[in-house]
Amino acid sequence: MDIKFLVVDDSVTMRRIVINSLRSLGYSDFVEACDGKDALDKLGMDDGINFVITDWNMPVLSGLELVKSIRGDEKHSKLAILMVTTRGVKEDIIEALQAKVNNYVVKPFTPQILKEKIEQILTAV
Amino acid sequence: MKKVSNMSELFERLNDLKVVFFYGQKFIPIIQSIIDFMSETVPLLEDINSSISDSTIKIPKAKDQINNVTNATELATTEILDTVDSISAEIGKVENDLKTIQAKEEERNIIWNQIKESLSKDSNSIDLINKYENLDSVTSIIPRLLQVFDKTKNDVNNIALSLQVQDITSQQLASVNHLIESVRQRLSSLVMHLDETEIKDIESLQAIIPDTAAFNPEAIYTKSKEKQETADILVNNRLKKASQDEIDKLFS
Repeated sequence: MDIKFLVVDDSVTMRRIVINSLRSLGYSDFVEACDGKDALDKLGMDDGINFVITDWNMPVLSGLELVKSIRGDEKHSKLAILMVTTRGVKEDIIEALQAKVNNYVVKPFTPQILKEKIEQILTAV
Repeated sequence: MKKVSNMSELFERLNDLKVVFFYGQKFIPIIQSIIDFMSETVPLLEDINSSISDSTIKIPKAKDQINNVTNATELATTEILDTVDSISAEIGKVENDLKTIQAKEEERNIIWNQIKESLSKDSNSIDLINKYENLDSVTSIIPRLLQVFDKTKNDVNNIALSLQVQDITSQQLASVNHLIESVRQRLSSLVMHLDETEIKDIESLQAIIPDTAAFNPEAIYTKSKEKQETADILVNNRLKKASQDEIDKLFS
């Protein structure tokens, strides 16, 4: 299965780190977005995207709102979504799971954790 | 009769006035002490007011400095990431070259063995072959070089991963900025209550904080796995619950 990732983070540094990690895991197809709204625009323009990796705290439209928008949209509701965030409080994790993220990674992460969670999602899908 | 009534009214009023003077005399020291207190306190309040005004005006500078730190660290991080990417790319090229040399050396060995076989009856050639084979070959160190490059590549990747600290600290600084702005707003309103005049440049002060700033005040850079473990437990519990629901559906 060819995977095209949409990496959503307002931090340029984090987007680069996530993409570098994905590259080291053997993936090569990426689209970047700087916030939730930008991500929705990119999703609207690119039907090839099948995996979203998103931060939570972002300006304009947060990661959580992005997840809710995706899940509420019939066209994209089945997209794989991995939340990668600094928010590690139990209540936050539960809120993200209730919004139907597929998995959850707390920053700072390692490529091993990223690999493990991506594989878990792909296996389940 | 009317005159008598007027007089008695006058006496009543005079009596009231007497009472007022009587109590007035009692209140005079109290009023005096209030006046003394006010005359001492008002300059003090004015000092406090001007001090708060000064502090409030200085706050945007502190916020600017914090923003400068965030921008500088982001720039430095980008430069480090550029360098890391460049090093990784160069290591990748050398690794590929070494692997190509290694593969060609294997082909060369096959031909070399054929040469040895064909010259095996010539004693002079055998001596030369032995001498040649005893010389150190560059190719023997290739596996070790590949190992070193592999380790270096990992180290370089770890440097890049550690740069996640930039994102986390920038969120902490954004949180501090938010707190500073809240303090500034409180101080501004306090000054406006103490003195009806508004602080100078208040509009320019308010323009600095972007409404869209998003950060996690609890962001922390730690190697602890505790939060990830909590997330894993919650995710796994949800998955188990989903499977149980599916099983329940199947048997219902």
